[in-house]
Amino acid sequence: MIIVIGAGPAGLAAAEAAARCGEEVTILDSSQRMGGQYWRHRLKVSGYKSERGEELFAKVSSHQNISHLSSATVWSAEAKNDEYQINFLQAGIEKSLVAEKIILATGAFDRSLPFPGWDTPGAMTPGAAQSLLKGHGVIAGKRIIVCGTGPFLLPVATALAEAGAEIVGLFDANSPMRWLLSPTAIFGNFAKIPELIFYARLLRKYGIKPEFGRAVVEFSNGSASVAQLNSDFETSDKELRRIPCDVVAVGWGFQPDVSLGGILGCAQKVDGDGTVIFSIDKNQLSSKRNIWIAGEATGIGGADLALIEGEIAGLSAAGHAVSRKLLRKRSAKRRFAKALQRSYPIAHGWTTWLKPTTTICRCEEVSASEILGSVSELGAEDARGAKLFTRAGMGLCQGRICARNVSEIVSSQTGCSVSDQERIASSNRPIAAPISLGLLADGKSRN
Amino acid sequence: MQNPDAIVIGAGIVGASCALSLTNAGLRVIVIDRGSVASGTTGAGEGNILVSDKDPGPELTLALKSRDLWFEMQEDVGDSFELEAKGGVVVARRDDAPLMKLAREQAEHGVTIQELDPSALHSLEPYLSDEISSGVLYPQDAQCQPMLAAAHVIRAVVSRGGSMVSNATVTRVLTLDSRVVGVETTQGTFKAPLVINATGTWAGEIAEMAGSHLPIAPRKGFILVTEPAPQYIFHKVYDSDYVANVASSDADLQTSTVVEGTRSGTILIGASRERIGFDGSMNYEIVRTLAEQATSLFPILRKVQLLRVYRGFRPYAPDHLPVVGEDSRIRGLWHSAGHEGAGIGLAPGSAHLITDAILGRESFMDATPFSPARFAMVNS
Amino acid sequence: MTSEISFTFNAEQFTGNPGQSIAAALIASDRRVLRNTRFNQEPRSIFCGIGICFDCVVVIDGVANQRSCLVEISDGMIVESSQ
Repeated sequence: MIIVIGAGPAGLAAAEAAARCGEEVTILDSSQRMGGQYWRHRLKVSGYKSERGEELFAKVSSHQNISHLSSATVWSAEAKNDEYQINFLQAGIEKSLVAEKIILATGAFDRSLPFPGWDTPGAMTPGAAQSLLKGHGVIAGKRIIVCGTGPFLLPVATALAEAGAEIVGLFDANSPMRWLLSPTAIFGNFAKIPELIFYARLLRKYGIKPEFGRAVVEFSNGSASVAQLNSDFETSDKELRRIPCDVVAVGWGFQPDVSLGGILGCAQKVDGDGTVIFSIDKNQLSSKRNIWIAGEATGIGGADLALIEGEIAGLSAAGHAVSRKLLRKRSAKRRFAKALQRSYPIAHGWTTWLKPTTTICRCEEVSASEILGSVSELGAEDARGAKLFTRAGMGLCQGRICARNVSEIVSSQTGCSVSDQERIASSNRPIAAPISLGLLADGKSRN
Repeated sequence: MQNPDAIVIGAGIVGASCALSLTNAGLRVIVIDRGSVASGTTGAGEGNILVSDKDPGPELTLALKSRDLWFEMQEDVGDSFELEAKGGVVVARRDDAPLMKLAREQAEHGVTIQELDPSALHSLEPYLSDEISSGVLYPQDAQCQPMLAAAHVIRAVVSRGGSMVSNATVTRVLTLDSRVVGVETTQGTFKAPLVINATGTWAGEIAEMAGSHLPIAPRKGFILVTEPAPQYIFHKVYDSDYVANVASSDADLQTSTVVEGTRSGTILIGASRERIGFDGSMNYEIVRTLAEQATSLFPILRKVQLLRVYRGFRPYAPDHLPVVGEDSRIRGLWHSAGHEGAGIGLAPGSAHLITDAILGRESFMDATPFSPARFAMVNS
Repeated sequence: MTSEISFTFNAEQFTGNPGQSIAAALIASDRRVLRNTRFNQEPRSIFCGIGICFDCVVVIDGVANQRSCLVEISDGMIVESSQ
């Protein structure tokens, strides 16, 4: 049996491919519905090429070899003899599943950068705005600014506009001129051009004018301050336009959640964009026997790449050969993903947007001045030290939102760059999701 | 700093306390650590300052004095590490005779105790299981935030003329005619006639470098941390199995129940002890056992969620006594290490013993039971 | 609208559609603030929307720290702000 964790594009593609080869597959996913974040939907998937999603849902749902356990949140995993036991919570009960082979496809979440007001109501990630709209049929607000950096801003802004929201600003901190750094990636991915045209048409239809080299650096009292940035992301104080809005949907690319693979001991490394990802071979096999990893966790690269990686992982787990054609498609998509990294980098100057009172760790309400104080007064030299002295990263989200930012703020103070070891240590946690002590205790006798 | 009077190796709570004590006695001290402040076991500590878990004897004497020195240190350095005389409640799950016997013996040796009948016990800890009917209150037990304590103490040392060198791994302990003359590190060589080895779980390595021997081994422990919860627990609460486990020489897993609330609202749950070297890997069975034990003492905790687990390696000496004193082979080399799970509580007391001995003045107790000489090899 | 679902948030009645999360249903009714933080009492609302940040936590039928962006509303659900 193969357990696939994650029912987004990578997980579904993996399950379908493995089942196609005759394998028994169980998909575990924490949502109520398939699709992950990319194909968030309540009734039907919408958006560019949404029929891909619908087709894959249909194949997976109808396949007799595939079971889909929804609303199943995996909190830990253990290697037991030659198999793996996956421990999860479903409907308030703890359960576990054992299988010889695991495919991890747990996706990614929006990367956030702090700025004054990012923790106030109305400020959210583009993923939140998208999830509210697609998953729950709710528009996040009336006057919305979409900003940050990355291609994700386009589908979010246009979907919100189509649903009736007024998009009062669309700002990308980077310039589209950066695409000129990646000519071969563009040539190898002409299929992306129709997608660009799709969004360009929608932007025009709703009168949304994207602006570049700009970011929201402050949000309060129903308006956002928009600043012009240089290539280091520093603001020049002259232009600080204020735009009345009730929502700022701001995102800075994505990062994968590596908790589960880390618990299983899969080797990790740091990608060019500073995210922690898994090392895999050409068959998507991790450093651990019988554990494959596909999608964002092997490198942020979007849904197209995730679908291909998922298929390769599924075929490989089933012991099936992977066609040259599929491998070539993956290479092309990987080149495109690298181009994305080059086109939408995050420069260090964001730390200059911070005020002393700006919240850095949202969960434990730790401010920028406390983080800096832990360095200058108490001798913290990295995120671990700052965490022990200020509690940053010890809250409910266990550092998912703030740890990387804490590292980079500390680094801006000490002048020492953030080590790979620190990035990896901050991204790993032995408890992947909260679980009650009662369930833990009861599970002892069950085991 | 040129020509310090003393080098302290280890910027955990034990090293920091030594450095402060020596600095306050007028010495110029350099603290060296291969990492930064609280990089070792102090960074994995709970903050226990206990007298309740110690059998009458030298360790209890040290613990009582050290506990009071913690409050003196707060006066000296400032109220910056959440020091609180929280009090400990030790409960007996089954037969309470051993607990009461120990408590009465401790009372004869300076420990304040209050035997608790069921109604007194449950008014101190209303959420304690009804099945527990016997316990002892130890008002002297206290709590601190150990990483903040180490950091603020080091800060005081530096502000009084000392210095701290981080990311300096000791590569050689330099000796001449069986006297220490300094240390060589990855950040340069430091010369001093006094070197204090406060490297905790790694103290044996430093001793080896000096041509000496300290049989200190890691004793692994896990701590569970919950989500922020309403205040369900008002003291440090633990069951009397804890005392037996601390005193056990068994290398196999020992677990006992230790539960307490914190200022931030989270609840800390321990305690496990295993001697499996420096294997830091996760063990979900132990996590479940600790959860089971904690919920059996406090059923209300069943609905509280576990958020994270961390682990550390206590420095364990085979005879369960810390190692505090001058090395038996190398003059000028002093050790303050091997405090097992009591490093935080015993840190200032150990520091005073060493400072007094270095200055040749009488101390608050005879430190011979802690002497490193007790490990001198038979054939040396 | 299709069959509406009734629930309370801090003792106030709200309704939403089947399949909506608590946070979504509240935002649709113009109620953004879900809680005040435990140290500085600052207002918080949904942030990541996908269950990562835990900013949207509420108490549901007595159980604390449940992510309102993930949990779907059901009839008679009693939702309260965290302390």
